[in-house]
Amino acid sequence: MIALIRNEIQKILLKKKMLLILFLLLIFVTLFSYGQNYAYERTIEQFEAETSETAFDWRVPAGQRLDDLERRRSNESIPDEVRASFDREIQQLNYFIDNDINPITPTAFKFNAEFAEQGIVLFIPLLVVILAADLVSGEFSKKTIKILLTRAVPRWKILLSKYLALLMMTTILVFIVAVLSTLVSFLFFRELGASEPVVTGFSVFEGQLVSDSTVLVSRLQYSVFIYSLVWFVSIIIASITLLISVTVDSSSSAIGILMASLIGGQFLQFFLAEWELVQYFFVTNLDLTRYLTGSYQPVEGMSLTFSILTLAVWGGLSLIFSFIIFNRKDVLV
Amino acid sequence: MASSVLKVSNLTKRIKKTQIIHDVSFDIKEGEILGFLGPNGSGKTTTLRMVVGLIRPTSGDIQICGHALKEEYINAMSNVGCIIEGPDLYGYMSGYKNLELLGSMSKDVTKKDIDEAVSLVGMENRIHDKVDVYSMGMKQRIGLAQALIHKPRLLILDEPTNGLDPQGIHEFREIVKKLAEEKGISVLISSHLISEVQLMCDRVSIINKGRIIKNASIEDMLSTGEVIWTLDDPGKGQRILEETFEITSTIDQRGLSANLDISRLPDINKAFFDAGLRISLVDNKKQTLEDLFLSLTHEEKI
Amino acid sequence: MFKKIIWPLIVTSASILSILFLYGFIASITVSRGEEEPVSSEDQTEPVQEFTDELPVAEVSDILVMGDSLGAGVGDEENRGFGERYRDLLTEADGEERTLANMSVPGYEAPQLLEQIESGEFDSAIASTELIIISIGGNDLNRLQIEDELTISLEFEETLSTYIGNLEASIEAVRALNPEAQLALIGLYNPYRQENPELSRFLMEWNFETQLLASGDDRITHIPTYELFQYHLDDYLSFDQFHPNGAGYQAIAEALDRILN
Ligand SMILES: Nc1ncnc2c1ncn2[C@@H]1O[C@H](COP(=O)(O)OP(=O)(O)O)[C@@H](O)[C@H]1O
Ligand SMILES: [Mg+2]
Repeated sequence: MIALIRNEIQKILLKKKMLLILFLLLIFVTLFSYGQNYAYERTIEQFEAETSETAFDWRVPAGQRLDDLERRRSNESIPDEVRASFDREIQQLNYFIDNDINPITPTAFKFNAEFAEQGIVLFIPLLVVILAADLVSGEFSKKTIKILLTRAVPRWKILLSKYLALLMMTTILVFIVAVLSTLVSFLFFRELGASEPVVTGFSVFEGQLVSDSTVLVSRLQYSVFIYSLVWFVSIIIASITLLISVTVDSSSSAIGILMASLIGGQFLQFFLAEWELVQYFFVTNLDLTRYLTGSYQPVEGMSLTFSILTLAVWGGLSLIFSFIIFNRKDVLV
Repeated sequence: MASSVLKVSNLTKRIKKTQIIHDVSFDIKEGEILGFLGPNGSGKTTTLRMVVGLIRPTSGDIQICGHALKEEYINAMSNVGCIIEGPDLYGYMSGYKNLELLGSMSKDVTKKDIDEAVSLVGMENRIHDKVDVYSMGMKQRIGLAQALIHKPRLLILDEPTNGLDPQGIHEFREIVKKLAEEKGISVLISSHLISEVQLMCDRVSIINKGRIIKNASIEDMLSTGEVIWTLDDPGKGQRILEETFEITSTIDQRGLSANLDISRLPDINKAFFDAGLRISLVDNKKQTLEDLFLSLTHEEKI
Repeated sequence: MFKKIIWPLIVTSASILSILFLYGFIASITVSRGEEEPVSSEDQTEPVQEFTDELPVAEVSDILVMGDSLGAGVGDEENRGFGERYRDLLTEADGEERTLANMSVPGYEAPQLLEQIESGEFDSAIASTELIIISIGGNDLNRLQIEDELTISLEFEETLSTYIGNLEASIEAVRALNPEAQLALIGLYNPYRQENPELSRFLMEWNFETQLLASGDDRITHIPTYELFQYHLDDYLSFDQFHPNGAGYQAIAEALDRILN
């Protein structure tokens, strides 16, 4: 079994998928951190121009943002959900100001968490899909499945070794995303900020942001939380991708199907938020990090436990079906 | 005689309601090369896929070295090496990596086994190049090495010479013959080329439209031939053939002709002579596998 | 190269990272547990508004818990809190079943508690009960901790007096509704590991003032928790390092049992 897993890891590495993924990652991380740095410098310039002071105080732009939000929330025409999300941001900002937590100056650790929060619904799943889509379908389209399945090894072992190899590579991939986003953004911001405090565990109670159950953790710890959720999501995506990969005979259709579900799912959750079934779709539940930050939720009644359970069911069923289908499949290529 | 290395009985396969394989049975003894002959689309590949467990038979049994494929998959498959429809290897790895990787999937395959297989197929020089840059002939050699590294007792080759040049075909044939002779490996080799089967195999199973229409040794098949006698009284000769030897014959301008086992020819000639017939010429045309094949598949059509 | 270096590297790093992520994953679930409670007790089909108007507090009960997240039992793996745990201790002792009501709201500070009591919504619940356990003040005090050092003493005094004032008013309001009931005030403990003499002094003073308030009425008891938690933070704190865990709540329940009976 260990030899099988080793073989699969070797195949993944030799296919140079990781290089493509690293390349994509590097481009996106660089673009984003450059953009953030640029925006931050503009904020400082604006601050200096307006106040003619030289020492930048983050409270001023935070206050401005607060005023801006207040103005927008008093606009009669905006829908209630959006107003509620403004309210939450206002309360959060107030909390930051009251507790002297600087939400504006960018640091590497703030960036890596933000990158994960943004990437968890689409970008990171996509990287996992690139890694996993041809795991089985590639063997079919290249016909190498025949030399793999005519050995004295039962089929379930072959699929299991592929899945375990995929899990290992997915785990390492998530770590690489964390490290790369930290390192690259550090080059821009020159500020690590690993020990800065951050509040998490905001809860929404009676429509109010309750800060009672919040916890002060360091940025480092917070990033561990965020990336653990990313890891969980990635594993689920990997399992679902395995199912698709086992079902179709070509890697490109596997990637196509998954991209369509990921992107289509995003639309679904905004256009059909009223439709109860939407909350059971896996894509709707990918954004686990929003439960940690207390931000706006598109579908009412969803919670972290709910989302985790839904995803776990999707992942588990995908695995079961993958094994059943793979075991039964006639190899006709 | 040695025991059966492969025994296929009453195999059928249905894909989406159309029956592709009908009740196919054959077996291979130790050290034997069996040719699996049939025109394109006759069901050779489908049958071989079932034998190596790539697809499930709709019904029927497959036994490899006494292990039923269904119940003892691992034991059965550890005795099999195969190439089904061309050598499909991982193109992004070297030939050697391919062998190493596949070798690690079987028990007790050492570096020495791999090196042996490589030298057997004569690929020592290019073994560390990427498979993507190999010629078809080189791929086929690695394909063969891949099927041999775990020292199987049964080698299954599906149209192995497709896409090879005459030189390559010749070399490949020699390697397979050597394997059977020196190592006692049984070989099941499918082909739509009669010459190939004639040159390599001990026995042949002819398949057409998913049915086995003949199972016999090459010698038996080829010893049947057409004999033409030029006699002074062809009518009398015909009667003797009919009454004494139960052989039907025809008379035309060439003379008296009949299809028979050549080994009976001396007896017949003696009987003609004893009956006072004057034989001016006996012509014996050896039947080729091609004639047999055509006549058999032709019968099928009627 | 692959077999000797890359493969062992991948295996070890993947295993270590998996353990780290698994830990982080469980930790994040625990951290956002506070959010789960109100959501999960809410009927899925009911809109949130209805729920806010009407907390599910029994009209008549033997024990009534009010106050903040400690009262609500945040951090307790079994979600029982000291209220249920104390009630179960009583039942164990005499076999008698008692009813329990809980009107705690995570995040409440003393002024909010007063508001809640004065709103009149819980009048019948307060009037009918035999024992009222109040946990309040943690959030009032906690708000101070990140403020800067110069002004902290001043702010502390101010916060403390606001708290005492509100608590006094709350007790008076309760007494007006129910002159008979036994009252128990849960003291504050120090959830922070590092010795901070300033903070210790504040906590002492805070608890002392609360105790003073309780001593004015022999039907009001102060339940000290400071010593209880002092050397048991590892055992008694939940993952968030702030709220008690099940064992912590059990310790509070036992203290209640010891002091009240
Ligand atoms: N997946 C399939 N679905 C339906 N029919 C098939 C399938 N694969 C092969 N066949 C049919 O089965 C017959 C035998 O095919 P095959 O075994 O490949 O022949 P051979 O290898 O002898 O050329 C052909 O007539 C072909 O049309
Ligand atoms: Mg074929």
